Amino acid sequence: MEDKNAMIYVENLKKSFGDTVVLNGITTSVKKGEVLVILGPSGCGKSTFLRCLNRLEEPTEGSIYLDGVDITGKKVDINKERQKIMMVFQHFNLFPNKTILENLTIAPVKLKSVPKSQAKEKALQLLDRVGLKEKANAYPAQLSGGQKQRVAICRALCMEPEAILFDEPTSALDPEMVGEVLSVMKGLAESGMTMICVTHEMGFAKEVANRILFFDNGTIAEEGTPQEIFENPKNQRLKDFLSKIL
Amino acid sequence: MRNHSSKLTGRIIAVLFIVTTIIFTCTACFGGDTEKTKEITGEQDLKGAKIGVQLGTVGDTYVSDYKKDGATVVQYNKGADAVQALKKGKVDCVVIDQQPAKAFVEENQDLKILEEPLTTEEYAICIAKGKEDFLNKVNSALEKLDKNGTLKKIEGNYIGDNKGSYQYKSPENVNRSNGKLVVATNAAFEPYEYVEGGKFVGVDMDISQAIADELGMELKIEDMEFDSIVTAVSSGKADMGIAGMTVTEDRLKNINFTEPYTTSYQVIIVPNGKSDTTALISGEKFINDFIVDSRWQYIVQGLLTTLEITVLAALMGLVLGFLIAIGRVTCDNTGKCKILNWLLKAYLTVIRGTPTMIQLLIIYYIIFASSDIDKVIVAVIAFGLNSSAYIAEIVRSGINSIDVGQFEAARSLGFSYSQTMWNFIIPQAIRNVLPALGNELIVLLKETSISGYIGIMDLTRGGDYIRSRTYDAFLPLILVALVYLVIVVILTALLGKLEKRLKNDGR
Repeated sequence: MEDKNAMIYVENLKKSFGDTVVLNGITTSVKKGEVLVILGPSGCGKSTFLRCLNRLEEPTEGSIYLDGVDITGKKVDINKERQKIMMVFQHFNLFPNKTILENLTIAPVKLKSVPKSQAKEKALQLLDRVGLKEKANAYPAQLSGGQKQRVAICRALCMEPEAILFDEPTSALDPEMVGEVLSVMKGLAESGMTMICVTHEMGFAKEVANRILFFDNGTIAEEGTPQEIFENPKNQRLKDFLSKIL
Repeated sequence: MRNHSSKLTGRIIAVLFIVTTIIFTCTACFGGDTEKTKEITGEQDLKGAKIGVQLGTVGDTYVSDYKKDGATVVQYNKGADAVQALKKGKVDCVVIDQQPAKAFVEENQDLKILEEPLTTEEYAICIAKGKEDFLNKVNSALEKLDKNGTLKKIEGNYIGDNKGSYQYKSPENVNRSNGKLVVATNAAFEPYEYVEGGKFVGVDMDISQAIADELGMELKIEDMEFDSIVTAVSSGKADMGIAGMTVTEDRLKNINFTEPYTTSYQVIIVPNGKSDTTALISGEKFINDFIVDSRWQYIVQGLLTTLEITVLAALMGLVLGFLIAIGRVTCDNTGKCKILNWLLKAYLTVIRGTPTMIQLLIIYYIIFASSDIDKVIVAVIAFGLNSSAYIAEIVRSGINSIDVGQFEAARSLGFSYSQTMWNFIIPQAIRNVLPALGNELIVLLKETSISGYIGIMDLTRGGDYIRSRTYDAFLPLILVALVYLVIVVILTALLGKLEKRLKNDGR
C-alpha cells in the first residue's frame, strides 16, 4: 500500500551499518488514524525501520515524507519534525532524576512554550486516564515496569503528536504487567491515534492493527490485514514465523 | 542546621585529636634520637663529611669541590632546613653565610660557628644581560650611597654592636616617575632579607629602597626561592636580584653583577656538644611561633591566598573541563571534527603527562615571562588548566556512564543535541561523578602548596616564613598540616551534603 499523500510516506528506505545492510528498500505509507503493526524475526530490521522514522538512525538512502515534507532533507529542522512523531521505548527511558510530572511537562514547557500550569493540568489529566495520577510526584525508580511504560506513553501524548512509534513496548515487562500497557495502547488506538508498533504481542496485532507488515531481511516480505496475515499467510518465512510463535 | 554544624565540629575535633596523637607517638618513636655524626673542627674535616647547604648558594658551589674527597653535599631549599637537619644529626655541619649563621646560632643553644671562616666573598646585585644602561645607573647609585655613608649605616643597623641605631628612610618628595623597580629576593636570609611585621626588611631591602630612591622609581619586592632569582631576573620578571648573592663564574655566564656592596664569609656551623634543652613543644615556642610579631597573620593570610587560588582555579577547571569533556564526547559520538578531537586529546596528554610544578614554572617564567601579571592570577591559570584536564576526563566518564536511552528519549521528544546535554545528560553525569570531582578538588587544594615556588605567600609558604624566623620546624609544619586537614574535612562534608541533595531519584 503506497499512498504518496498519506500522513507518512516512506520511499525506498535503505540503511546499512558499515557493510551490513539492515533495511533494503522499504516503501510504504501510513494513513492518519491507522494502526500499523510490524512483525518479523529478530534482526529483520523492524526496530531500525522504526528508529529511522524519527531519524534516531540516519537513513542511508531513500526519503521519509511527513505531511508531504521530506524529513530526511538537509534543510529540515529535525527537532521540530520529531515533535510530531513521539517514540515509546522498550526500556521506557524515563528521566530518573525528574518526577513523573516533570517527565511529562518538561518537553511541552521547554519546546512548545506551553505555560507550566497548563502543561501540568494536561499531564495530570493524562496520568488520571492511565490510573497513575497519585504517582505524579513520585520518581521513576518508585514505579513498576508497567507503570513506567504507561508514564512513557503519557509523556509522548503530552506533546500532542500526530503519530506515536512503539518499539517493543512490552518486551521488558513482567508478564503480569503486559496487559495494563496493552490496554492503554488499545484505548489510544480507539481514540484515533496514528500508531506504528513493533511488537511480539500477537493478540494485540490481531485485535487492534489495521494493517500488518511482515519484515524479513530488511524488506517487507508480506503485508495485509490481520486476517490475511494470520489466517492466510502466503510467504514461506511468514508461515515459519507464525508456526513458531503461535 | 545547628545540629549539622555541631556534628561537623565534632568530626573536626575528632580528626584533630587522632592526628595529633599519631604525630606524638611517631615523634616519640623516631624523632628523639639523633644519628651518629662525624665531628668537624675545621676546613680539613670537610673531606668525607656530610655537609648541609642551601641550594644554589655560594656555600653549595664551594663545598661541591669536596665531593671528590668523599664528602656528601645535601642541598636544602632554605638555610633553616639545613640547620634543622644539623640539629637532628642528618648532616655533620652546615656551610652558610656568616650573618645568617649568627642568627641561627643565637636561636639554637646546641650549635656553634667554627672560628675560622671558610672563604671570603662579596655580595653584589644581579641584573639581566643586555641591560648595561640600567647596570650603570645602579652602579652609580651604589657609588653615591657608598660615598655618603648610607651603605655603612644601613649595614650597621642590622650587623654588629649598634643594631637598631639607624633606620633608613626615603628622602621626602622623591619623584618616582621612572616607573617600578621590581626586585627579586629570598626573604629567609636574616639579616639581609627577612620578613618582620608583614614587611620585607634587612640590609638588602634597605639598600634596594635607597637605590629606588636614587633612581626615582617605585620599589616592588618579589619574594621567591633563592635558586629562582637568577631566572626571574634574566627572564625579565624582575629588574634586579638582591639576596646576599656572591659573584661567581657560573652566575656570570647567565647574568651581570653590579659592583659589590658588602663583604661576607662562608662559615661552618657545627653542634657544640650541648643538648638543646627546649622541648619539642612548649608555650614559649608557641608564643614565639605565632604570637610574637603577630606571626599568626602569615597563616591567616596564607590561608586566604590558598583558598583564593583554589576556588578560582576550581571554577576555571570546572568550566574548561566541562567544555573539553563535551567536546570530546560530541566528537567521539558524531565522528566529526577530528582535528578538534585530536587537539583536545593532545591537550589532555600534555597536561596530565607533566608535573604540576613544572607547568606552574613554565607558565610563570616562559609564557608570562615579560608581562607584569599578578602572580596569584598566574597560579590560578596554571592550577586551573591542570585541573581542567582531570575534570574533563572525570566528566567524560560521567557522560559516558549515562544510558544511551536517556539521550534517545530526549532527542525523540524534540530536544536538540545541546538541550539534551544540558537538561538531561550533564545533570545525571554530575551526580554520578560528584565523588570523583570532590576528590579532584581536594587534590587541587593541596597541590596549590607549590605556589611558593613562584613566590606566592600561600598557606605552606606562610608556615615557611615562620620557620625561617623562629627556626622551629615542628609547630608551624604541624599547624599548616592541620589547617589543610580541616579545610579538607569541611570540603568533604559539604560535598557529602551536595551529593545527598542531588540524589533526587526517590531511592
